[in-house]
Parts: sequence; C-alpha cells; structure tokens
Amino acid sequence: MTALAASDVTVALDRNQVVSTVSCAVRSGGWLALLGPNGAGKSTLIRAIAGLVAYTGTVTLDAVDTRTMNARERAKVIAYVPQEPVLPPDLTVGQYVLLGRTPHLGYLATPGRHDRERARAAMERLDVTRFAARRLARLSGGERQRAVLARALASEPQVLLLDEPTSMLDVGHEQQVLELVDSLRKDNGLTVISTLHDLTVAGQYADTLVLLDGGQVVAAGSPAAVLTKPLIESVYAARVIVITGSDGHPVVAPRRSPSE
Amino acid sequence: MRKRIALVAAAAFLAVAVLVAAFVGAADLNPLATAAALLHLPSNLGPLDRAVLFQIRLPRVVLGALVGGLLALAGAGYQGVFRNPLVDSGMLGASAGAGLGATLAIVYLGGTGPGTVPIAAFVGSLAGVAAAYATGTAASRHTVLGGGVATLLLAGIAVGSFLTAVQTFVLQRSASDIAAVYSWLLGSLSAASWQQVTTILPYAAVSSLAILLHGRHLDVLSVGDEEAQALGLRPGRTRAIVVAASALAAAGAVAVSGLIGFVGIVIPHVARRLAGPSYTSVLPLSALLGAGFLVLADTLARTVLSPAELPIGVVTALVGAPAFVWVLRGTSHVGT
Amino acid sequence: MTAACAAALAGCAATASDTTSTASTPAAPASSTPTAAATFPMTVKAGNGAVTIKAKPTRIVSLSPTATEDLYQVGAGSQVVAVDDDSNYPADAPKTSLSGITPNIEAIAKYNPTLVIASQNTGGLVAGLTKLGIPVLIEPAVATLGAAYAQIEQVGQVTGHADQAASLTASMKKQILASVAKAGSGHQSLSYYWELSANPFYSATSNTFIGQIVGLFGLTNIADKADKPADGGYPQLTQEYIVTAKPQIIFLADNEAADGGQAPAIVAKRPGWSGIPAVHDHEIVGLNDDIASRWGPRLPQLVAAIAQAVERAPQQPAQ
Repeated sequence: MTALAASDVTVALDRNQVVSTVSCAVRSGGWLALLGPNGAGKSTLIRAIAGLVAYTGTVTLDAVDTRTMNARERAKVIAYVPQEPVLPPDLTVGQYVLLGRTPHLGYLATPGRHDRERARAAMERLDVTRFAARRLARLSGGERQRAVLARALASEPQVLLLDEPTSMLDVGHEQQVLELVDSLRKDNGLTVISTLHDLTVAGQYADTLVLLDGGQVVAAGSPAAVLTKPLIESVYAARVIVITGSDGHPVVAPRRSPSE
Repeated sequence: MRKRIALVAAAAFLAVAVLVAAFVGAADLNPLATAAALLHLPSNLGPLDRAVLFQIRLPRVVLGALVGGLLALAGAGYQGVFRNPLVDSGMLGASAGAGLGATLAIVYLGGTGPGTVPIAAFVGSLAGVAAAYATGTAASRHTVLGGGVATLLLAGIAVGSFLTAVQTFVLQRSASDIAAVYSWLLGSLSAASWQQVTTILPYAAVSSLAILLHGRHLDVLSVGDEEAQALGLRPGRTRAIVVAASALAAAGAVAVSGLIGFVGIVIPHVARRLAGPSYTSVLPLSALLGAGFLVLADTLARTVLSPAELPIGVVTALVGAPAFVWVLRGTSHVGT
Repeated sequence: MTAACAAALAGCAATASDTTSTASTPAAPASSTPTAAATFPMTVKAGNGAVTIKAKPTRIVSLSPTATEDLYQVGAGSQVVAVDDDSNYPADAPKTSLSGITPNIEAIAKYNPTLVIASQNTGGLVAGLTKLGIPVLIEPAVATLGAAYAQIEQVGQVTGHADQAASLTASMKKQILASVAKAGSGHQSLSYYWELSANPFYSATSNTFIGQIVGLFGLTNIADKADKPADGGYPQLTQEYIVTAKPQIIFLADNEAADGGQAPAIVAKRPGWSGIPAVHDHEIVGLNDDIASRWGPRLPQLVAAIAQAVERAPQQPAQ
C-alpha cells in the first residue's frame, strides 16, 4: 500500500511548458483519474510520475522522493502501462509477461522459478494463461490488453500507472478491464493513477478526479465536485448536461443545441 | 525444450562442418592418414602434408569458425539494439571504416608485412562505429530519452557513405592498387595462420561474452526504450554496451578476413526461425550457426574451383541471398 | 620447347602478332624489315590500328613505363616532354602526375604533344586525342619476346631512331642468348612458382610472356596444371596447392615494399611453407618488380636474374 503525491511538477518539452506546477495526491489503495481535453498534459504528467521524462518538482511515494531511487528501484514499485504498448509480434504471451519480472532481476540474472511462478499467477489473474504459448500477434485487442496488464502485475507493483487503458475498447471490454483493475486494486492493495477520456466512466471508478487544462490543474476532488456542468463546459468547450445516476455517481452527456 | 534442441543441433552442425573442412582441400590428403594425424595417432602423413594439414588447413578452419561466429553475433547484437531485423554486422560504419583502413594501408603503406592491413582494418572499423555513434547521439540529443534508434541507424548510413567515398577517392589516386583493395574487400581466409587465431582470440572472447550476457536485456529492449526504462532498464547504457561489443566482434572478424556479407544478417534470422525471437536463444544459436556456416562456405570457396579460390564474400552472398528469401517467406511479421 | 626458344631468339618478327611496321614514302620501297630506312610522314600499325605520323615528333608524352624505357634507350630522350607517374626509369625522365591507367585528355593536351604513347586505351584515350589531332600509339603488353623486340623497333622508327633501335634489339638478343647458353635450356626437372601477389595468390603460367621468358631455360611451371581457360594464364592458387606442388625455385614479383612487401625472408616464414624445396634450399628469388613487369630494354637483366637462380639451384630432382 503506497500513497503517491506529486508536488509542483513542471515538464517542459521543446521549451513549451506542457505541465505547469501540477500538484495532486492519491492515498494508498486509491484511484486517481486524470481528466482533460487533448493536449492538456495528462500523458506527460503520468510519464513524469513514472520517471520517463525530465521534470522539476517532486514526486513522492510514501513521502520518499522518487528522484532518490534508481530506475530499478522505482520499477519495482511503479508499473507503467502506456497508451500504445509495444508488442513484439513474435513473442509469446508467456515470454512477454515474464518481462514484467525485469525490475526484480539482477544485472546478469535470469528469471528463476519464483519469477516464473509470479508471472504465472499474474496470467491467471488476468485470465490469459491459455494464451501462454501463443504469439502476441495472434491475440485480439482485448486479449492483448489483458496480456499487458498481466505484465504490469507480474512485477508486483504497488502503484499502477495506466495511460488511457481503454481508449481502443468497446463499452463491454472497457467495463471488463476497469472492473478487473478495480478488483486488482482491492485484492492486491494497488494504488491506481489513470488517464481516462470518458468522464462518466472516470466518475464511476475513481475516487479522486483531477481536471487538467493547458498543463494546469483546474479542479481536483471527488467526482461530484469536479464533474460539474460549468467546469466541463468551460474546459472542454462543449455543451453537456450532468445528471446524477442511480448509484449516486454523476453522468455526463453531450447536449446538442436545438437551433443547429 | 525448443531452445535446448536447437542449440544441440547447431553445435552438431558446427562439428560436422569442421570435420568436413578438415578432410577436404586442394592438397588431397589421404583421409585415413589425416584422421590418424588429427587424433595424434601414428600416421603415415609425410612431413609436407602434415605441414599443410596443421599449418595451413586447420588454422583456416578454426579462423573460419571464429569469424563466422563473431559476424553472426555482431549482427544479432545490432538487430537487438536497433529492434530491426534488417541490420547487418557491417552497419554503423563498421564495414566502411574497415574498408577505408585497409585501403589506406594498401595504398600508402604498400600493404607490407602480415600486420599492416589487419590492424588498419580493425582500427578503421572501430573508428567508423565510434563516428557513427557520436554523430547519432549528438543529433538526437533533443529526443526525450537521448540516442534514438532511428537516428543512430541513419547516422550509420551517413558515416558509412562518407567513409566509402573517401575510400573511392584514395583508390582513384592510386589506380594500380585497385586489384589488391578489391580482393581484400571481397573477403578471404587465404592468409589464415595460428598467429591470426591467437591474435583475435582475446577480442573474440571479450566481445562474445559481453554480447551473450546481454541477451535478456535485448529482450527487454524489444518493447521500446520508454517501456524498457519503466521496467528498470537503462536503454542508453545497454545500447552502448551491446553496440561497443558488437563493433569489437565485427572489427576482429573483418581484420583477418576482409568484408564478408550476409552472415551477420541472415544467420540471426535462421536462429529466430528455429528457436523464437528471444535473444537468450538467438544469440548463442547465431554464434554456433554462423561458425558452422562460414566454415562450410570457406570449404566451398577453396574447393569448388580448386586450386583457385572463390572470394568467400561471393559464396556467402550466393548462398545467403536465396536463404534469406526463404527465411523471409516463412516469417509473417518482420520486426516490431 | 627448345625449338620454340630458338625461334623466339632468332627474333622472327613474323610470329609477333601485335605490331608491324611499313614505311610508305614516295621514294623508298615498302618494306617489312625493321631496319628499312624510314622517313616522315609514315604510317605504322600499332595496337590501335594504323597511325600516321606526319613529322619527326619532338614533343612526346609517354603514358607507359615500358615505352618510356624504350624511348630513352633508342636515343629519343631529348624528344620526351612528359612521362606518367609510374615511369620511374630512367630517373631523369620528366615524371609528371599524368596517369597511364586513368588518363585525363585535357591534362595530356596541355603538354602540346606531337605524339602520345600508351600501353592501353582506357577512358577513351585514343578517341579523345584523335579528336584533338594528336597521334597516339597503343603499345600493349606483349605475348612473346619477338613482339617485345618489334615494339622497341617501332618506337625507334616513329621517333626517327630506327638504326639505334635495331642495334638495341640486336644487343638484347645477344645478351639473352648468352645467359641461356651459360645456364642451359634443358631444366625440365626444375619446377618453379612465379608469384604475382599474395593473399590471394596469383601466379603466371608458362603461356604468359613471363612464363615464356622463364621457359627459355626449360623450367616446369607449377601453375600450368591449375590453369583454366577463364584465367587467361594468371590463375589463382591456394596455399595448399602451392605447398604440395613442391616448387624448387620461387620467383617473387611482389617482394618490394611498395608492391606487396613479400620479401624472401617473409615468404620463408609462411606457416606450412618450410617443407617446400625452394624454401629449405634458399631458392627464393626477389626480383626487381619493375623489371619483372615490363617488356622493355631491361629484359636481359630479368633473364640474367632468372639465369642466376637456375644456375644456383640444386640440380638433382628434389623430393
């Protein structure tokens, strides 16, 4: 169980400030969703937290600055799943998931029995064990997503960073994946930070939302506090209605202007 | 397990190749006497024939195995680092640098003595890779993770073209050396001696070990620099080490044998077909297959037109190109 | 073998294939003997066909080291204005950076030549010079001794030194005859290996010009068995073949530092070669690479060097 906090994180790419003094925090075992229009800096912020891009400011795991950790130590705690993971087509699912054990292997070490067992457990959790010998190229989109999550899980992380884990999935598969992440969160005590483009879905799964615009935090808090009509309409330059669903979570729906 | 079977089969292939090569040659040695001599049993091989076997033929076979293994390993190493299966051991200016070094030695130093050209080729090869690497990393300094792979490859092409142009220029100034340079460029093991074997052995050992130990790292690199770093690897450092080791391996090979193509690019593919894409299998398999292949190719080269020799680069190309097509046909996805 | 040698020594130019000379002036009768007095203008038949030379050339450019030697030995040295970068003999010839292998027409034209002599027609040399109205003679590498004499005589003729050329070739024939007489011409039991280059090892068979020169002494050439039609007399040999052929004399045409550096000492140390008769009897002859690769007036020196090796070699057939 690890709490993560980002404090005054700024990322400059090609002299443009893509993320400007962003601060946010998630309690251990919590789920933080980063929202915002295209180009708001969500992916870049996630990459900064993962230590994959240079940033100023601090990112702490349980109050320990991640800058004091080397890449391997950080990889043992944080698992990062990018929006478009690279999947070597000829690698089998088993070999791919085993790559998740990399943070735990010494420089010249090779995966041992314990590593294979952890990888197997991860594959079972994600229900991809029957694909273990199949090449990645021969999987469907949903199966591939699960294989990627299995790899992330195999490294026994405490924090899961997911960049748009469902943007390519239909509503059914999206629900499947998010339910899975939620149960992993509860069963394995994972802390989750994810970017999500669907506002309603974000409100259903995350307990903290952070709304970014132009690299800056516009709002942060519970779904009901952040998913309000004026905020969304101003940040996204869209027309929406926000209603409260039967489970108490806000539902955001686009609205069409009658005269057009 | 697939990997284990493939390795044993490759080792057997190498053993057979070496045996065939030891018994075959222009000198037409009596097979039984040769076998006896090889096993240190009393043999009625005359002193001259003995000299041919132990001083001329055997070192050539051993050198062929060394060179073939080094070229295949270097090629596989580069393919892993660049995540591109169409990369050869001569990339990054290695071949062009060696060619320029050899040309300069032949034109300005008369190619005298047994040491000048190999040393010049060795140094030239390493210098070529260093220049390409420096150019590539300087050019990609603005990339997030520094040292982007595509930029390195392009830098290699640019540096290689430049060095080849310089070589052509030097050659034009001394047209009488064209034949000597050309025959070096085509590759040959005709000067093989035990001295050459012992000279490149340390470079071969160090570079091979370094490459083989990084098989798992290359597998992690296959998911891209960013994800590899997220898994705790340092992609830039891994890349530097494997490129340096592969450059050393290729330089050692090229120094004694001239430019031999196709081994570095085709053998790793065959290895992949046999044992899957994991570099923990592809690397050792490539070394064994490359060694066996070059020994056989050289045996062909020195017997097909006996007593003349075909340049070995011609044999590897004539055999390697169709083999490459066959390998590609069976591979449904090439690279990531 | 001996009959052919005699014919070559007699210099019967009729057997030479490449060059013939005819004088065609109104006064003198046409003649095919080299010693016929010839005046200008004249037409000769060189490697590039019939060439007309209108007047005695006083500005000659030589792009062939052999032709340079010929010119100076027949007494035409004062008529030479430029020689190519490989013409190093005689030392006082006006060496320039002109190339005989990759000739530059404009650079040649700058010397305002009235005659150009080259050994090969590369880079459109003949066509280019003809366009500029400069006569050019191609005097290529010869196949026989007779052709070598004929070439020297032609050079003498076109430069107005026919008599000198004739006495030069006569003296050459005499010297060569003397060398052969002294060393003997029946040495079939002696085998030799002529090395043109190492790694790869190129040799010359007895059918080549150089092979015929050595053939004056009757030696057996180990490369003959290896020759294939496509090799044109210059086969490539593996070390195994050379060693097992056990030559008794090795001639090195690549022993000078600038030309391969395969000095006799280095050759003797080649792994596996110590069993060769030529090596353990110290019969490795390093030749002057220039003399061994040209077909000009210094041929008698080449023959003498070979004769020396033949006389020194142990006469009994070695195992």
